[in-house]
Amino acid sequence: MTFEHCVRCTICVENCPIFKINPSFPGPKQSGPDAQRFRLDGEGSVDEWVRLCCQCKRCEVSCPYGVSVADIILNAQLKYSSEHFSPFAAHLFANTNYLGMFASFFAPITNRLTRLSPVKNILSLLGLSNHLPLPQYRFLSMSRTRRNKGKGIKKVVFFTGCYLNYNDPDTGRGIRDLLVSLGCRVVIPQQMCCGLPSLGNGDREMAQRFAKKNAAVLVDYINKGYSVVYACTSCGLTLVHDYPEILKIPEGKRIAENTYNVHEYILGLIEEGYAQIRFGEVNKRIAYHIPCHLRALGIGYPAARLFEKIPSLKVHILDDNCCGLSGSYGFKKKNQSSCVKLGEIASNAILETGAEALVSDCGACRMQLGHFSSLPALDPSQIILESLQNAAVQAQTNKRSLL
Amino acid sequence: MNTHEYDAVVIGGGIAGFIAALKIVDAGYKTAVISRGDPVCCLSTGCIDVLSNSDNPLKAIKDLSEDHPYQIVGKKGVTEALEYFIEIMKETALPYRGEVKKNRGILTPVGTIKKTCLVPETMKNAIGDNEEPIHVISFKGIKDFYPSYITSRISNSGFSVFDAKSVTTLGIAGRFEDRDFLRSFISWAQDLDIPHVKIALPAVLGLNEPLKIMKELSLRTNKEIFEIPTLPPSIPGMRLFRALKSALEVRGGHIYWGKPVSSVERQGSRVEAITLATSGKPSRVCGRSFILATGSFVSGGLFALRDSVRETVFDLPVFVPGHRKDWFNNNFFTQGHEIEKAGVLIDPSFRPKDSNLENLFVCGSIIAHSEIMKNQCGHGIAIATGAAAAMKCIKELS
Repeated sequence: MTFEHCVRCTICVENCPIFKINPSFPGPKQSGPDAQRFRLDGEGSVDEWVRLCCQCKRCEVSCPYGVSVADIILNAQLKYSSEHFSPFAAHLFANTNYLGMFASFFAPITNRLTRLSPVKNILSLLGLSNHLPLPQYRFLSMSRTRRNKGKGIKKVVFFTGCYLNYNDPDTGRGIRDLLVSLGCRVVIPQQMCCGLPSLGNGDREMAQRFAKKNAAVLVDYINKGYSVVYACTSCGLTLVHDYPEILKIPEGKRIAENTYNVHEYILGLIEEGYAQIRFGEVNKRIAYHIPCHLRALGIGYPAARLFEKIPSLKVHILDDNCCGLSGSYGFKKKNQSSCVKLGEIASNAILETGAEALVSDCGACRMQLGHFSSLPALDPSQIILESLQNAAVQAQTNKRSLL
Repeated sequence: MNTHEYDAVVIGGGIAGFIAALKIVDAGYKTAVISRGDPVCCLSTGCIDVLSNSDNPLKAIKDLSEDHPYQIVGKKGVTEALEYFIEIMKETALPYRGEVKKNRGILTPVGTIKKTCLVPETMKNAIGDNEEPIHVISFKGIKDFYPSYITSRISNSGFSVFDAKSVTTLGIAGRFEDRDFLRSFISWAQDLDIPHVKIALPAVLGLNEPLKIMKELSLRTNKEIFEIPTLPPSIPGMRLFRALKSALEVRGGHIYWGKPVSSVERQGSRVEAITLATSGKPSRVCGRSFILATGSFVSGGLFALRDSVRETVFDLPVFVPGHRKDWFNNNFFTQGHEIEKAGVLIDPSFRPKDSNLENLFVCGSIIAHSEIMKNQCGHGIAIATGAAAAMKCIKELS
């Protein structure tokens, strides 16, 4: 639906996390549909404040009339950025792909460097926020370890995304092994960044470049009968929504139709009867922070449905708050205060549940909320793996007691 | 395509849909709610109106036309539904107060008194007539809220204005959740030396924990505090929606956000599945029974064409009060337009009439003859019919 379908009911405004805490941002109704009437193709953009939107897509999800509020704002952000000077931080984060490749290759050095206070000061002068330690990189990225595993009938191509690949490869390898243990043949192809950081930092050309390269690889696998599986919900939303709708990738629709969230895929395996899983007890109380982009995917909360099958696990679902980091948004100095306020609100909600760990599908949410709440931040797959291991241990003790 | 299976699938995530889903989950069935966007409840005052133009809503039910949904639910059903609602809200951060047998008055943002049945705890102390003197605290630049206008209608009242550095209700509510802000606000209020017993504020006392904020304010100023509902965006409406949503999630109900139903699969007289238009591959949601709670024209459950009115999900037959020229009324502000009667006719088992569908139940304002504006039943119809349709659905499931 276009901006003309907006009836100005303000439900999107009620759902905007930035509007609630930053008076400089006029909210999704005004920066989206309202301002869109004045944005003409031939004329320059004057609305710098559109950059204050963090693209959580809560406005779009809440709109009762189906207006693409977030898309309207994203296009306005891209237009503004193409006509104006972008700060250094925006250029840096638009290049998340190359940043990851470089930092991971020199991992021990880069990690130490970003912890030194002179370096921190320089980065702060360049417009980076310093409320959160910069993400740490790992040399043994997923792309440097085993990329083909398993011999099952179900063929999966795993789109890892930059965070799992360069920053948290152990979790990524856990997901790979989880899929293998359920009888999948998993391939981790040569892949670029999904393109979301480039879009978020106003570089449409770069996003398009990444998207085209990824699309070529993924379509090739889809033609061979593979399903695309992602674990990072933001990468997932970019693949299924932004490729066809924003970046107008010709193969976009075909990719979208063959792409699954990893937990959605596992649920499918269980429902088909292909995978028979025995879930073991996990004696934990966890707070499940739903990433904004998982909501926007419209597939429900697949991991929560898997959690229901795990005995003794207590899950608190929290889906009202944005963590505030929103990828690279919160790493920019001008967004720092918004990011900190939202981080505190979301982590307070988590702490109030009395959970001993927080779980989230999104690497950025885990980084931010783990920092603010000081709780261990886990990927849902880690809970599922723990359950499977416990089941295996239980089965073994049962066997022994029988003997 | 991905398939999800449920005992009951509720289409529409408004009050009616959530009440129905809660009842069915409570009966032990696997339930999903399909929501296309946040409901109009988010724009409402958060109060539950049940025949607000009467003093005793239960007594007034018998004066309604025979087709009216309250008549179909019955006096007992309405009472039980509202009590169930109060019971659910007790566990949330937003308990509700009030009696089913008696409507009470609350203060509106234009200084008039409006009648309603159940109110959120934050409006419990609201004055019920224009005689009781109050002190209104407003915020500098706040939109659509004029304290002098309110106090001009209430005898011996006064007002003060605080600068919250934000002019929107949502912005101010966000600030109230900040401890330092609350402290500075309280010390400002203490210095005012207000002579009145009651302090009224626009409904901005935080989004998540309004009662905590209200209690602290009340304790430190030694006054009775109450909120006045505001124009949209409305914080009490949003709190109500979020409370119902969380209550369902806690009980293990599933919610699919932000996607419309794109197609329906029927097999003879049964609805087998619906398909959601998600980005990428569509999701297919199967159910043993379905509940239609998509609301009326505003919510998109009904759609008016030049010559007819359509029901948007199942294309059910819709009752329309005659030809457009019969119900068209030039006076927009008249109490009750004829077109309000439009909707889906139901039989006593809450199945749609003339459609032979046996596992579809209808609830909420989409039901014909609801006339919510005329009878002033915002949320009342939703709760009563939501619970009633759920009971019929449970019977079908068991």
